Amino acid sequence: MSDFLQSYGFLIVTLIQAGLLGLSLYFPLMAGQLSLASPGFYALGGYVAAIMLTNPAFAGLRDTLGNGIFPLTWLAAGLLCALAGVIVGVPALRLRGIYLALATIAFVEILRVVSLNLSITGGAIGIFGIPQAFGFQDRWQYLLIFGPLLALVLAFTYMLQKSRVGRAFRAIREDELAADAMGVPPTQYKVLAFVIGAVIAGIVGSMSAPFLNTWNAKQGTFDASIAILAFVLIGGSRSMWGPVVGGALLTAVPELLRFLQDWRLVINGLVLVIASLYLPQGIVGALAKLRKSPPPARPPIAPAPDAKGGTL
Amino acid sequence: MTAAVPQPTSRTVLEARNMTRRFGGLIAVNDVSFDVREGEIFGLIGPNGAGKTTLFNLMTGLTPPSSGTLMYEGRPVLGLAPHRVAALGMSRTFQNIRLFKALSALENVKIAQHTRTHAGLWRGIFGANRAEEAQVERRAWELLDLVGLSDRAGEEAGNFSYGDQRRLEIARALATEPRVLLLDEPAAGMNTSEKGSLTAFIREVRDKFDLTVMVIEHHVPLVMNLCDRVAVLNFGQLIAMGDPASVQRDPKVIEAYLGGE
Ligand SMILES: Nc1ncnc2c1ncn2[C@@H]1O[C@H](COP(=O)(O)OP(=O)(O)OP(=O)(O)O)[C@@H](O)[C@H]1O
Ligand SMILES: [Mg+2]
Repeated sequence: MSDFLQSYGFLIVTLIQAGLLGLSLYFPLMAGQLSLASPGFYALGGYVAAIMLTNPAFAGLRDTLGNGIFPLTWLAAGLLCALAGVIVGVPALRLRGIYLALATIAFVEILRVVSLNLSITGGAIGIFGIPQAFGFQDRWQYLLIFGPLLALVLAFTYMLQKSRVGRAFRAIREDELAADAMGVPPTQYKVLAFVIGAVIAGIVGSMSAPFLNTWNAKQGTFDASIAILAFVLIGGSRSMWGPVVGGALLTAVPELLRFLQDWRLVINGLVLVIASLYLPQGIVGALAKLRKSPPPARPPIAPAPDAKGGTL
Repeated sequence: MTAAVPQPTSRTVLEARNMTRRFGGLIAVNDVSFDVREGEIFGLIGPNGAGKTTLFNLMTGLTPPSSGTLMYEGRPVLGLAPHRVAALGMSRTFQNIRLFKALSALENVKIAQHTRTHAGLWRGIFGANRAEEAQVERRAWELLDLVGLSDRAGEEAGNFSYGDQRRLEIARALATEPRVLLLDEPAAGMNTSEKGSLTAFIREVRDKFDLTVMVIEHHVPLVMNLCDRVAVLNFGQLIAMGDPASVQRDPKVIEAYLGGE
């Protein structure tokens, strides 16, 4: 067991990370909004953790809290990303489709350039020597925090999709104007979906900074935006399992094919092309098509006496 | 052209005054005023491009007005966002059907209960919304029963026939619990037998839910049988209003239809 974790623990953590970032992009998509802002919030969350864990200004807090500092970095990253999500989301979500995508890429790029030029973020060099979370000795031990986070986010997503808020998201995705006319306020729910994605990406960043030991401006880039979008599109954008499967697959395939050396990039490219040609709904979407979902069951209460079948 | 004098026998629900909407040089709705009384079925007819749909769009917040006012139960409506109008108690269907096509019929009707329910993010996440969800579910099934679609509750709305989609849109509009229902060409795309039963159905719905109904319709027999009063729009202007028979005889109306075709 521990041999397996020694060899594959790092990879598994990376797969979970990818799945979580896929989910962070899936949330705005649930409400029909194509946002590529996830790497920006991921970078921001990572900087929050890196600064809290290394900056002398927080030395007193670290001494007092001991390992308690780590959950505090997650909380701080989540809150700051929620705030940033509102500040960026409210104006950006007035844009539609590709214009929103471009605006969110601009946000990622602005954050990157700012972090390159601030001294608190370590400028071009970044922040080094971030201590391991909870004094972990091995990278695989990060499964102990990323695993529960993934489980929590999946449970959150599952419950949300079944709820009134989930229905509002889907209505806006299907037809924003009709949703509005049927009483669903689109702006409010679009911002909410965007902020949830921002919080998830930020918390993932705050857990990743100790994991990677170092944090710099390479963490939030345009390349990452496109990679995360590919996770969701290949996995499937209509089910919460899509981003997880896509993120894991697109992260695992290049790693497992390492023995092919440069050819692995070709294989990876082929996977992308073939999937987008033959699985437009993504892998999970294609699997869902195979399985006919049963018709909804009527709740087992006697219908109201006046609700007899219509004649029209 | 001028507003109807409200009859003492019935209360006024909607008061439209000088409603106007310009699109560039075109005046799609031109200084339109009318009153709608509680519980009546008020028809809106006119040649193609007369401005009927635009008037509905103004009334439901989808298109901002150039000028004019609309009072619903004494409250101003124009300038409100569509979801605020829905919350006030006015709901509609669309001439060019706008169901949530990839979602099931059941979910379409559940979504539209949004303004009448309250569970926020956290109540949903922690499952503290069970009673409300059960209520939403029950109402959704009842409304599908009403339009005869509960057997196909799980099917995607986009797969339904025109007639079924129109009825599902009515069920969805009713799910917002309106007091005023605006129907934009409910018979369009229906077959003859569906059209035949539409009159009785709209009356049934009006009675069951205590509604006031405004209906845009081209199908003349339907308008004549269904409506208590009819208003006629032509080139954005209200050219006649009254009971169906007298409107049908009105020379201005005949002229509008002959000249318009
Ligand atoms: N968004 C818009 N921009 C520009 N012009 C518009 C717009 N919406 C409607 N119009 C114009 O306003 C006029 C009225 O259109 P409207 O759809 O209200 O007519 P209608 O009476 O519903 O016609 P129909 O019976 O064909 O449905 C038409 O000339 C139409 O082209
Ligand atoms: Mg029209």
